[in-house]
Amino acid sequence: MSTRDVPLLEIEDLRIRVRNTPGAEILRGVSLRLWPGETLAVVGESGCGKSMTSLAVMGLLPEGLERTAGTVRLTGTPVPIGDNRAMRRIRAARIGMVFQEPMAALDPLFPVGRQVLEVLNEHQRLGRRAAWARVIELLGLVDLPDPERIARSYPHRLSGGQLQRVVIAMAIACSPEVLIADEPTTALDVTVQAQIIRLLKKLQRRTGVGIVLITHNLGLVAHSADRVMVMYAGRKVEEADTYSLFTAPRHPYTRGLLDATPNPERQATGGRLLNEIPGIVPSITDPMPGCRFAPRCVRRTEACRARVPDFTVVAGHGVACFDPVPRPGEVAA
Amino acid sequence: MTGRVFRGLRAAGRNWTMSLGLLLLSGVALMALTASLLFPLSPYDMIGPPLQWPGQFDGAVLGTDALGRDIAAGIFYGARISLLVGFASVACALVFGVLIGAFAGYYGGWVDTVLMRVTELFQTIPQFMLAIVVVAILGASIGNTIVALAVVSWPAIARLVRGEFMVIRQRAYVQGCIVLGMSDLRIMFVQILPNAISGVTVMSTILIATAILMESALSFLGFGDPNVITWGTMIGMGRGNLRDAWYIITIPGLALLLTALALNLVGDGLNDLLNPRLRKRKAG
Amino acid sequence: MTASPPRIPLSFVGKRLLYGMMTVFAIAVINFFLLQLAPGDAAEALAGEAGTASPEYIAELRAQFGLDQPLMLQLWAFVSRLFTLDLGYSFRYGADVADLIFARLPATLLLMTTSVVFAVIGGIVLGVTAARFANRLPDRLISFTGLLFYATPPFWIGLMMILVFSVWFGWVPTSGMENVLAFNTGWARAVDIGHHLILPALTQAFFYLAIYIRLVRAGMLDVLSLEFIRVARAKGISEARIGYRHALRSAVMPLVTVVGTNVGGFLGGAVLTETVFSWPGVGRLMFDAMFQRDLNLLLSILILSSVFVVVTNFVVDILYVLINPTVELK
Repeated sequence: MSTRDVPLLEIEDLRIRVRNTPGAEILRGVSLRLWPGETLAVVGESGCGKSMTSLAVMGLLPEGLERTAGTVRLTGTPVPIGDNRAMRRIRAARIGMVFQEPMAALDPLFPVGRQVLEVLNEHQRLGRRAAWARVIELLGLVDLPDPERIARSYPHRLSGGQLQRVVIAMAIACSPEVLIADEPTTALDVTVQAQIIRLLKKLQRRTGVGIVLITHNLGLVAHSADRVMVMYAGRKVEEADTYSLFTAPRHPYTRGLLDATPNPERQATGGRLLNEIPGIVPSITDPMPGCRFAPRCVRRTEACRARVPDFTVVAGHGVACFDPVPRPGEVAA
Repeated sequence: MTGRVFRGLRAAGRNWTMSLGLLLLSGVALMALTASLLFPLSPYDMIGPPLQWPGQFDGAVLGTDALGRDIAAGIFYGARISLLVGFASVACALVFGVLIGAFAGYYGGWVDTVLMRVTELFQTIPQFMLAIVVVAILGASIGNTIVALAVVSWPAIARLVRGEFMVIRQRAYVQGCIVLGMSDLRIMFVQILPNAISGVTVMSTILIATAILMESALSFLGFGDPNVITWGTMIGMGRGNLRDAWYIITIPGLALLLTALALNLVGDGLNDLLNPRLRKRKAG
Repeated sequence: MTASPPRIPLSFVGKRLLYGMMTVFAIAVINFFLLQLAPGDAAEALAGEAGTASPEYIAELRAQFGLDQPLMLQLWAFVSRLFTLDLGYSFRYGADVADLIFARLPATLLLMTTSVVFAVIGGIVLGVTAARFANRLPDRLISFTGLLFYATPPFWIGLMMILVFSVWFGWVPTSGMENVLAFNTGWARAVDIGHHLILPALTQAFFYLAIYIRLVRAGMLDVLSLEFIRVARAKGISEARIGYRHALRSAVMPLVTVVGTNVGGFLGGAVLTETVFSWPGVGRLMFDAMFQRDLNLLLSILILSSVFVVVTNFVVDILYVLINPTVELK
C-alpha cells in the first residue's frame, strides 16, 4: 500500500532559536516520522523542546522564537509553517491539537458547544442545523453524557475531565489526519488521566488518526504508544518501539529516566524506589560543543564533550550516543 | 537609608519619564517660591496696557490680560495656590482616609461594613458636584476649597488602605505581634502602615493632580477664592478674549497641563519603583 | 446535575433596590446636615440670599421645614418630601424644581450618550492598537496622548477646541445646542443639533478616553497571553476573529464597570462642559443654581444625580452578569 510508504507527518532537522539572542537554541535539529494509525510518544523533561516541536508544526511558535531550519511534511507535501494565512487551513482541519490545561483552553465567555461549532464553521461548509447536530455528535463521540446540555454549558460549569473531552472534540471535529496531544493528562486527576488516554486510543481505532503524544510521564507511554522518541535539551537522543525502549533502553538518559520512575519491583529486589538523575539540564544558551547530556552522564567519554554523537539506527532502534548501554547479551564495544 | 535613596535615584535615572515629571514639578515649586521675589506687585495690579501679546510689552514677558495685569505674575502666584490646594487637600484626605481604611481593614466585621458603607456613600455622589456643593454651602475661600477637595478625595484612599490592611494583617509577623500582646493601635500604625505606604504614596500623587485640576475647574467656574489669583481664574476671566487674545487662556492652561502631567508621571514612576509586582506586569 | 438557577434572581433585585433606597436616603441625610452648615438658617439658605426671595416665601419655607421644631423632625420632613419627589419651588426661575430639572434632562442625556459612545469606540480602537504594538512606537504615542488627555483640564480642552475648530476653522458653532433662529424642523434640526453637539461631546469624551485606552490596552495584553487564545489559533481561526471575538470580549469586561461609573457621575463633568459650551442641560442649570445661590435647586440636582448613580450601578451589575457568564449573583 502506497500510503504505508509515506509518513503521515514528517519533521526534518527542525531548528528553533530565541530571536536576537545568539546561541539560545531551543531545538537543535529534530526529526521525526509519524506513520498512519500509529501513536508516537515524545518524552522528555520539561524544557527539552517537545512542546516547541508541536507548536512549530502548527506554525504557532510564541513571539520571540524563530525557526532557522527544518521542514514539515504532511503526507509528503510540505507544510507552509511560516505562512500564518496558509496554516489556518491546516490547523484543526488536518492537524488537530489537544492542550495541557483544559481549564484554560476554552474561552470562559462562550458555551462550549459554540466553541466546537467555531471549528466546523471555519473549515467546513455545513448548514446551521447540520453543524450543530455535528457538534452534539462530536460531544457524544468523546463520551460526554447528555451532549445537548453540555453543549450549552459554559466552561466554568464543567470539570477538568469534561473540558478536556470538549477540547478533544474540537481537535477531531474536522477529522484531521494527525492529532497532537501536548501533555493531555498532566493537569487532570489520576483516575481521569487513564480515561482520557483510553478515549484517544478509541478515537484512533475508529478513525485511524495518527497521534503524537507529548508527555513527561513514562507510565502513560508504556500503555498507549507504539513508538517512543526521547528528547533531551533540544535533541532527539533515542527512538524505538515501545517494547524495546522499555526493556532495552540504549541511551544513558533514557535509562536514567526509566530509573527515575517509581518502581516497586526494583524496590522489592533490594533497589531504591526511584533513582534521580544527578545534575541539571544545561541552559539553552550554554555553548556546549558535545553531547548536552554529557555533564550528567555516567558513561561519558572524552568524545562526548568534543562532538555531538550522530543519531544511528540499528534494527529500528535509534540512539545518539558514543557509548550506548549495551543490548542484553551484547558486549560493550 | 542612604542606600535606599541612592537606589531610588538610580532607578529614577533609568526611568526618564519620572525624571521629567520631577523636573517639571520642581519647576512649578520654584515658581511658587519665587513669586513674590520676582513679582513684588500683586498679580491683580495693572502693570501696563491691556491685551499685550507675549513679548509685545517689555514689562510683561507673557503679555497682559484684558485689564493690563501681568500674566507671568499670575502664573507664578497661581502655582502657589495650585500646589497649596493640591497638597493640603490630599494631606487632609490622607489623615482621614488612612484612619478610616486602617480601622475598617484591621478590625473587619461590622466595623468594616459600617465604615465602608459610609465610604461608598461618598463615592455615590459625583466628585465634582460634591465639591461644588460644599463650596456653595461653606462659601468660596481657599480653606473651603481645600475642605471640599479633601471631602471628595478621602474615599479612594480609605478603600486602598483598607484593602492593604486586610492583606497585611494576615501576614505571619502581624499575627506574631498580636500573640505578643502588642496594642492594636501600635500594630496598625507601627507595624502595618509602613508596609502599606507605597500604594498610598502612588495614589496620593495622582490624587494631588486630580485635586489641582478640580481646584482649577472650581475657580474657572467662578467659585474660587476671590482674593487670590489662580490658573483656573485666569482661564475663566480670559474666556471673553478667546477670539482676539487666546494666549490669555492658553498659558495658564499649559501650566495646569504640565503640573498635572508631572504629577502623573511621578505617580507612574513611583508605582514602577515601589511595586515590583506591577512593574513586571507592565513589561509583559 | 441540576438545572442552572436563573441568571438574575429576584432576591438580588430586591436586595439591591432596598440598598439603593437606603443609599439615597443616607445621601439626603448628608445633604440635610450640609444645609445646616450654611450660614443663616436653612430657609434663608434654601431661598437664596436674603433680598431676592420675598419674606413671605421665606416664612413659608420656615413653616414647611418646621424650623421651630426639633432637628430630627426637620430631618424627617426634609426626607419625606424628597421621597414624594416634591423638590420644592425655585423663585429664581418661577417654576417647580422637578419641572426645571426634567426639562433640561434630554439635552444632558444626549450629550452623555454621544460622549460615552465616542470615548468607548475611541478607547477600544486605540487600546487594541496600543496592545497590538505593545511597547513599540504606536503604543507609546497612544499611551502618552492618553496621559496628556488625562492631565488636561477638560474645560480648557473645550475652550481650545472652540478656538481651533470654531474661531479659526469655522467648522462648528461655538456654543448652544441649536440655531434657534433658523426654526429648523425634522431632519434639518437633527443635523443642526448634531453640529452643535460635536465639540462638547468630544471635550467630555477626551477625559474618559484616557482611562478607557489604559484599561483596554492592559486588558488585551492580559487576555492575549491566555491559553484559550492559543487554542483558538490552533483551531485555524483568523487573527481578526480571535482579536475581536475572543480577546476583546474578555478585555472590555472591566470597561463595563468603569463606563458605568462615568455614566453615573456624568453630571459632575457636565457642569463644566455645559458651561463652556452653553449647552442647555442639567449641568448648566446646576452652574446657574450655584451662581445664584439657589441651594434648593442645587441640592435637588445633587440628590437626583445620586439616584442616577445608584440606578446606573444597578444596571451595570445586571449588564455585567449578562455579558459575563462566570459571574453569579447572590
